[in-house]
Amino acid sequence: MSKKIVCYCQDLTEVDLIRAIEEGYDHIETLKRFTGAFMGPCQGKMCAANVLKLFAHKTGQSIENLRVPTMRPPVEPIPLGWLATGIDRGKDEEEI
Amino acid sequence: MKKKYDVVIIGGGVQGLSLAYNLARSGLHRVAVLEKSYIGSGASGRNGEMIRSAFASEEWIRLFNKSLRIWETLSGELDFNVMFTRHGYLILASTSEEMAACQNNIKRQNELGIGTRLVDAEEVINLIPALNRQVVTGGIFQSDGGFARHDAVVWAYARAARRLKVDICPFTEVIDIVVKSGKVLGVKTTQGDIETRTVVNAAGAYARRVAGMVGVELPLEIYRLEMIVTEPLKPFLRVALSSPHMMGYMHQTTRGEFAGGAKPENLSPYTGLKSTLVAAQDMARKFVLLFPGLYGARLMRQWAGVVSKTPDRGPLLGAVEEVEGYILSAGWGGYGFMGSPAGGKLMAELIINGEAPAEIRPFSPKRFKTGELITESTIIGLAEINVQ
Repeated sequence: MSKKIVCYCQDLTEVDLIRAIEEGYDHIETLKRFTGAFMGPCQGKMCAANVLKLFAHKTGQSIENLRVPTMRPPVEPIPLGWLATGIDRGKDEEEI
Repeated sequence: MKKKYDVVIIGGGVQGLSLAYNLARSGLHRVAVLEKSYIGSGASGRNGEMIRSAFASEEWIRLFNKSLRIWETLSGELDFNVMFTRHGYLILASTSEEMAACQNNIKRQNELGIGTRLVDAEEVINLIPALNRQVVTGGIFQSDGGFARHDAVVWAYARAARRLKVDICPFTEVIDIVVKSGKVLGVKTTQGDIETRTVVNAAGAYARRVAGMVGVELPLEIYRLEMIVTEPLKPFLRVALSSPHMMGYMHQTTRGEFAGGAKPENLSPYTGLKSTLVAAQDMARKFVLLFPGLYGARLMRQWAGVVSKTPDRGPLLGAVEEVEGYILSAGWGGYGFMGSPAGGKLMAELIINGEAPAEIRPFSPKRFKTGELITESTIIGLAEINVQ
């Protein structure tokens, strides 16, 4: 079977997720923790649509009624130094 | 879920699940674990994952060393990799007073056979070259301590318990506990009623509320902690590290993320699960001070967890006098994860034999009536601010 990547941060494939659900990680919060989906540097921004669609299909739920894993701050990953000093030292290196 | 069980455990966290597994392993199979959300949804999946037995008091050392010995073979025992990483645990001293406390503590640790040693600033830097020398005076190093993957421990105990016919019931909330003539008779849940003579309160932060269902007032307060995790970084921290000076604890996960928590000086009375900016700034300041290299590391996620704590910070382990069949494994106050292998095993012995094993006897709930409190001075974040 060809590898279908659904989560780019953790290199999760469709098969990884299906196996995890079959193993009993069939709540979105436990699936997240078991596979690492939503937990990489994108924090779900890239993978959420893929993962939720697959999860809804596999567990026979409608995607509209699915609970989305708790979104945690920050919205974008930010350097600890900015928080520590309040100085945006990294801004000249990278436009955000 | 069946209509009748020998033991009903309230709380599907590591303590409740470890207890269920250990009861079943000892031959008691009619056991149910009731969890109001998904298993491990409370502090069991939100903690710092750190493991040590290097405490100051004999009571804590004996209990947590029992746990550490089980951690060493836990993956094999449960047939599930809990990723116990025995790279050592360093308690950092940043002042000469803290170093003096370490010198004092190491004597008792070594008397009790704990493999800890006093390390000077040079040795600390050798262990963790990325540390800022200015905050290093020395410390205590426990080479057989470390960390494990918290969620994996929850799943490992749950799966092992299920294999032994334990019923684990997520999304099953306890509404009331039926008591008649001072004896437990059953439990009412959102999924129906259960008949049982033995109920264990392993409800973590909510243990006080669950005790209220049998009319028992417990000396527990909700205690709130926050943590952060960074994006994956190159390996720079092998050991589990705690800094009493900064009221913080941290390690680098096997995925490379730096994960840590610290208690801010000014805790708000809020006891909910939302993260606060004040805590994020406090943790960032402390972690960047400890590791200047973390300045540019991106904070990926922040979260909070709640536990319950007792006035002496030790757990409440054992039966309550007021109600027959009502047993506590509560008030672990942030140490329930590292204490779960021993906590579950020893509480199972207590339930089966009717007598508390030596390691948990000092932690009897009675101590708050008799006044025989335990003095433990190495609890991270002890400098107290009252919450709730």
